[in-house]
Amino acid sequence: MSNDFAQFKDAFFEEAGEHLAIIEEGLLQLEQSPGDLDLLNKIFRSAHSIKGTSGMFGFAAVAQFTHKMETLLDQLRTGQKTVTPVVTDLFLRATDCLKTLIEAAKTDAAVDEDTVQQITADLEAMQSGEQPAAEPTHGKRGETSGTDQISSPLPLASGPSSGMHHFVVDWTPPSWLFQRGLDPLQVFKELAGLGVLSNVIVDSSALPDIADMDPENCYLRWTMDLATAKEQAAVETVFEFVREGSALTIKEGAQGEEPGARDNERGSSRSPRAPGLPPSESLDSPQPIGEILIESGVVSRDTLDKALSQQKRVGEILVEQHAATPQQISQALQKQQDSAAHVKKGTDTASIRVDTAKIDKLINLVGELVITQSMLSDLSARFEISQLSVLLERVAQLERNTREIQERIMGIRMLPIGTAFSRFPRLVRDLSGKAGKKIQLLLSGEETELDKTVIESIGDPLTHLVRNSADHGLEPPGERIAAGKSEQGTIHLNAFHEGGNICITVEDDGRGLNREKILAKAIKQGLIAENDKLGDDQIWLLIFKPGFSTAEKVTDVSGRGVGMDVVKRNIEALGGTVSIKTALGKGTTFTLKLPLTLAIIEGMTIRVGHETYILPMLSIVESIQPKADTVKTIVGKGEVMNVRGTYHPMMRLYEVFGLQPEYKDPAKAILLILETEGERVAVMVDEILGQQQVVIKSMEQNFRKVEGIAGATILGDGTVGFILDVRGLLELARHGNLVAA
Amino acid sequence: MAKTALVVDDSPTMRQMVAYTLTTAGFEVVEAEHGKDAVSKVTGGHKMDLVVTDLNMPEMDGIALIKELRKMPSFKFTPILMLTTESSEEKKKDGKAAGATGWIVKPFNPELMLKVIAKVLPV
Repeated sequence: MSNDFAQFKDAFFEEAGEHLAIIEEGLLQLEQSPGDLDLLNKIFRSAHSIKGTSGMFGFAAVAQFTHKMETLLDQLRTGQKTVTPVVTDLFLRATDCLKTLIEAAKTDAAVDEDTVQQITADLEAMQSGEQPAAEPTHGKRGETSGTDQISSPLPLASGPSSGMHHFVVDWTPPSWLFQRGLDPLQVFKELAGLGVLSNVIVDSSALPDIADMDPENCYLRWTMDLATAKEQAAVETVFEFVREGSALTIKEGAQGEEPGARDNERGSSRSPRAPGLPPSESLDSPQPIGEILIESGVVSRDTLDKALSQQKRVGEILVEQHAATPQQISQALQKQQDSAAHVKKGTDTASIRVDTAKIDKLINLVGELVITQSMLSDLSARFEISQLSVLLERVAQLERNTREIQERIMGIRMLPIGTAFSRFPRLVRDLSGKAGKKIQLLLSGEETELDKTVIESIGDPLTHLVRNSADHGLEPPGERIAAGKSEQGTIHLNAFHEGGNICITVEDDGRGLNREKILAKAIKQGLIAENDKLGDDQIWLLIFKPGFSTAEKVTDVSGRGVGMDVVKRNIEALGGTVSIKTALGKGTTFTLKLPLTLAIIEGMTIRVGHETYILPMLSIVESIQPKADTVKTIVGKGEVMNVRGTYHPMMRLYEVFGLQPEYKDPAKAILLILETEGERVAVMVDEILGQQQVVIKSMEQNFRKVEGIAGATILGDGTVGFILDVRGLLELARHGNLVAA
Repeated sequence: MAKTALVVDDSPTMRQMVAYTLTTAGFEVVEAEHGKDAVSKVTGGHKMDLVVTDLNMPEMDGIALIKELRKMPSFKFTPILMLTTESSEEKKKDGKAAGATGWIVKPFNPELMLKVIAKVLPV
């Protein structure tokens, strides 16, 4: 069905995604409490919503498939069938199938028809399975409505008919007509729209005495003649909503019947003739003026066409009047086309649904901002030094407004992390089945909010960590019992705020990381040398190295040796960190630490010479004022710094950026220990200025990529400060042969 | 003065589409997520020229909403159209018994919807 609802497709896909999540989650809960009617109703409503809305966009495959699910769900909620593991299993498969169907509708991708048909057949089999075939069952009726819904709900007037029909209509509406919001006048208008309505006569003989009359009831009866090119069915359709309770006859009468005859026969009182009702207004766009002139016979089509051919384009007129050059016009045309193309492209952009309460609050705040601004401009217009305190107060108010608006705007991009967690109950259910382990999943902190982009990006890394815990972390039941643990393993996903960051932990009570196994594997893979001395933390980090996998055999679930390194890389791309805590035989906890948003970071401002730079707080480990003897030069490898026995490569920021520093002696300067991806570097600066939130402006978009610089920001005094890219600095250090032993 | 319509549907997409259609036809639209929300938005004597409601909704479904509205003096004669995927007589009967004026069967397009509205409301 092609219509201008197409613009709402994105909204539908977003909503469908939510419904799918509700269905899936509901099914999993249903396994725990099969009799929960509220839950069934909730699942049913979601399926029903997808069905109804997908039909609106002409996604017939989705609508038909959901209809099958819905029919069976209806049997479940009306108690005709009971929820068994077989049923939930089938529904989970059906949900997956529905997911692919919706995805296919979205991307025009091909669907695995066999799977769809298989599951459709399974649903049908289940539906008819325990049912007596004789009685006209609910399911059967649903079937018909399924086909009906694709067709048009109003029978359209039949095609070109042979000449005119003359109908005599006799209608006595039910007395409660008005109480259902119905109005006889509307019926007459619609009838008049079909053709020529005449002899509309009201019979008021049923009107009671005024004392007995209920003004909310209808006591009237009408007769009328209708000459129309439409068939009887079209006339009947007019009465669609008033049919019930009405006494209605529509008879095809002889042409040119004497209306008077009927009047006498009925002996009814005559009402003033209904004035010739206009045909119902067309809902289409207005006719062009030329067409109207032709219709009313003022001009002929030829004259109009001639006149139209003389019509000039605005550009031509402007050029003739020397108001613009042809080049300027063609440039403007190009611009017009570009922007048209841009508008078209714009429709592909991602959308975000925002709670209206959040918007309302924002509008209030903007209102306050406007008030503050007008107070300030009022003050500045006639400012005297005696009003200084007032000025300061106003500025403080402005600051408050701005900060609050900033927070609220950021809040609009914030979503609860629960949306990213919602896929895990299903995942863990499937994993426990495949791995033959009993796994319990605990979720907490689902309401913790973070940036939409971050949420979308952490789904995959989190999935991998959960898979990893289920497959490698948790032991098989036998092993757990032997170790004196409960048979059922637990994976706990938790999210919480910590400072300006969000922490997500994936915790299992499994076997924990095995130090010896990891070391042996790393040596075998050539990731480390046999005589390397590594601390525990460094050993754990080895599992994030590309190509590392300790699983003895590759399983279906994980253990292909890809993934953990990708997890780390993805998290770090978001400006976050991953850390591991583990105890042998007790379990492992992965902690992801992420910034709340990607647009603003918590930064440390530092000074080198006269330049100010910003370092992301997340990457700063510590700052040190070193003793002279802690810095050493290694021939051919540059400088290193000894921090409590560990040597870190050291770089002097003024050398990297070619500046004149205040201090060249490390003992007088300050060294910041920075960390990224488990590597550390000591960076020498003149001074630490402070800590502040900075808004990141992209270098690539505004200038070009610069090695060692992640972005720029506007500092409080209006100058531009560069945000240092710690990863890039490390690369620079490496290329400068500054790597430590 | 612009006519006001109350649009009740738990699906934001459907709400948007119905509201969009009505807005292009010159209505002012008040949206509600479910029956309870709708009732709370019209208590205090808010008059509407038209109500378009879904049937299957959480909290309070369409049938219950129609019954509630018909109890209010300001909605006694207001046209109430229900949106339904079922073309089954049973649903329509339930709706009509509750006091619905008419129905619009999903899927529909804007033109079709306005056509049905024209049946119950002077345009």
